[in-house]
Amino acid sequence: MSARPLSGIRVLDFGLLTAGANTSAMLADLGADVIKIESGAYLDPFRVVGKPDDDDGWWNRSPQFRFTNRNKRGLALNLKDPEGQRVIRELAAHCDVVVENFRRGVLDRAGLGYKDLSAANPRLVFAAISSQGDTGPERMNVSFGSTLDATSGIASLTGYAGEEPRISGMDVNYPDQIVSLFATGIVISAVMAARRTGKGAFLDFSQREVASFTLGEEILAASADPARPNGRHGNNEESVAQQDTYRCKGGRWIAVTLGTPDAALEAFCASHDSAAAVAALLARGIAAAPCNDGNDLLRDTALQGVTLVRDDRGGLVKGLPYRLGGKGITIQRPGPDLGQHTCEVLRELLGYDDAQLKRLAEAGVTSTTPTVGEI
Amino acid sequence: MDAPDDLPLRRFTLIEVNDAKVPLCLRLATSLAAKIAADLGADVLKVEPPGGDPVRRAPPFLPQGGSALFQFLNTSKRSLVLDLASDTGRTALKGLLEKADAVLFEEPTVAAPLLRASRATPIEIAAFPVEMNAAARPVSEFAILALGGLLHMVGEPERKPLRLGGHQASYAAGLTAFTGLAAVLAARDAGQTAPPVRVSLTEVMQWVNWKAASGAEAGGTSPGREGKNSEFQIVPCRDGHVAVVYTATQWPAMRALIGDPRLGDPKFNIRAGRRQHIVELYEIITPWFADKTRAEIQTMAQAKGVPFGPIFSPAELLQTEQYVARGFLATMDHPTLGTLRLPQLPVQWNGRSFAPRPAPELPAPELAA
Repeated sequence: MSARPLSGIRVLDFGLLTAGANTSAMLADLGADVIKIESGAYLDPFRVVGKPDDDDGWWNRSPQFRFTNRNKRGLALNLKDPEGQRVIRELAAHCDVVVENFRRGVLDRAGLGYKDLSAANPRLVFAAISSQGDTGPERMNVSFGSTLDATSGIASLTGYAGEEPRISGMDVNYPDQIVSLFATGIVISAVMAARRTGKGAFLDFSQREVASFTLGEEILAASADPARPNGRHGNNEESVAQQDTYRCKGGRWIAVTLGTPDAALEAFCASHDSAAAVAALLARGIAAAPCNDGNDLLRDTALQGVTLVRDDRGGLVKGLPYRLGGKGITIQRPGPDLGQHTCEVLRELLGYDDAQLKRLAEAGVTSTTPTVGEI
Repeated sequence: MDAPDDLPLRRFTLIEVNDAKVPLCLRLATSLAAKIAADLGADVLKVEPPGGDPVRRAPPFLPQGGSALFQFLNTSKRSLVLDLASDTGRTALKGLLEKADAVLFEEPTVAAPLLRASRATPIEIAAFPVEMNAAARPVSEFAILALGGLLHMVGEPERKPLRLGGHQASYAAGLTAFTGLAAVLAARDAGQTAPPVRVSLTEVMQWVNWKAASGAEAGGTSPGREGKNSEFQIVPCRDGHVAVVYTATQWPAMRALIGDPRLGDPKFNIRAGRRQHIVELYEIITPWFADKTRAEIQTMAQAKGVPFGPIFSPAELLQTEQYVARGFLATMDHPTLGTLRLPQLPVQWNGRSFAPRPAPELPAPELAA
């Protein structure tokens, strides 16, 4: 394969769930060698959330984990064990980028924070992705995706007209999804600077700020006019004549945006099935679309574009949100089993021999099974 | 407008081509990607059609005049007006492209052949995936949210699907285009031939909504809007609303926080049980919120590690202690609009923020040409 934009870049990935793990996945998409660090004592929570059954090896079968961690190699090293910490510090010396989204202070306490790792490797780009950022009075606050729908302002502008605010909910957790789209670009910018100057950077991302950034014009307008009315307007938009979802014959909903109001639209939709209604509206030059669900997205391969791909086990995984050279990605390797590549990577990067690897396994520093007990 | 010397993208020159007749939702994506690069120091030249980018006339508006949307999306850029329907306009654009690293534009544009053939790497923003063959299909951001499955996820199951506030399809695509742009610049910087980038809003929305596809593939049934059947709901409190959010492992902490003995009923111990008895669960917890403020609730919940989310409006965010402490909201002196406050890029780079510079005034036609 010809050189890709991040060929030769190695990423030490402590990313968990979506915000962190997806940022490093997007770096892998561009050719970076991503080595994901977990431990038997602390799995990526996606392995647990997506647990399909209780059979042996359940931790390797979560669809959410596989969706997000394709094209990475996986290591299991105990971060709480001084030996595990030493091995990770050695690995960091061979890496260009660290991605992490632990609660603030976790890596510092393990001696694996930016200060420790950059002392040995000054060209390291260290992306710290957290709920509130690395500074400020709320830096230690915990959040889950939809917490940030609320605290970022998005929920205040989402809802049925005149009713209470709404969040995107646990099956979307919208703020978690968008941070990697921004963070990846910033990490690449810092990698470019590090290639040129030999100096890395500490990149402090607040997920809440990323979500609020998507309301930039609303915050600006509110600052200029504190009396500016806002709140929930259903599906209406300022300056759009008529916009809403309408129920069609058969019960399916469609979304319609009109340049001039049409009081008859609701009745028109109710008397047509959704496909006929959308086709008729499009033919009149009106933007309309069915409100698709997950099964619609799976069925319509033209609509999917490059967003879904299958790995070599036939599993469906995340593709790309964009195309490079007209193409999406091929999956080079499926999401790793827990600790699948520990020995391979420690041999390759650190020159460990069988005896050293055996010692680490016996001491519980490395593992391929969870030690978390019943889930 | 010169960027400070040490900004990370200082060495790059980008062209943002604004054709006159393009759906605005595509323009918002293009302009956001270019704005991020401009705030990071790239020299971004915005080529506007005669009469200017229509976003200059798009809401929300500032009371002193002008568009808040335009001011937010075009910080730190320079601008010139070119009529790309004319030979002079296209010749001038060609000259600009000679010196540029990348060019951002939307499909369809009359200048597409010229832009795709230039030595600047093209970053194209479109509505739909190429496979849909939908170049002539009418476009709205709202219809794209429907196609990508996001509308299906928000609201009550028996009521209308709802859109998220803001321009989420455009802005998620804009963030994606910025990452594509960064990849292009990195490839060029490393002496590679940079691949062209294409971003469609529809693909970005599906990608963002991947749990719908993943859930449907794993269980046969698609996830969808759950409203009052969800474990995560909005409850009123003394001065507004709070989002009740907690993970399975945080349930014991939440139970302790609310402190009602009825929550000790074993039927609430596991997620399936809580979902089955969700109406009863909310009847028990809702009164706890009624006499407390958002600030009190947040303090009490965080002390127990429970991630409840107080709901803030854009105006309230301006006063948020955390945002003020981090300097997230920049104060920008605009030559005609006065002092403006707006979010700056949501990253601190070695402790540094990237102060935006005011968006350009509409220049006289073909000044630079």
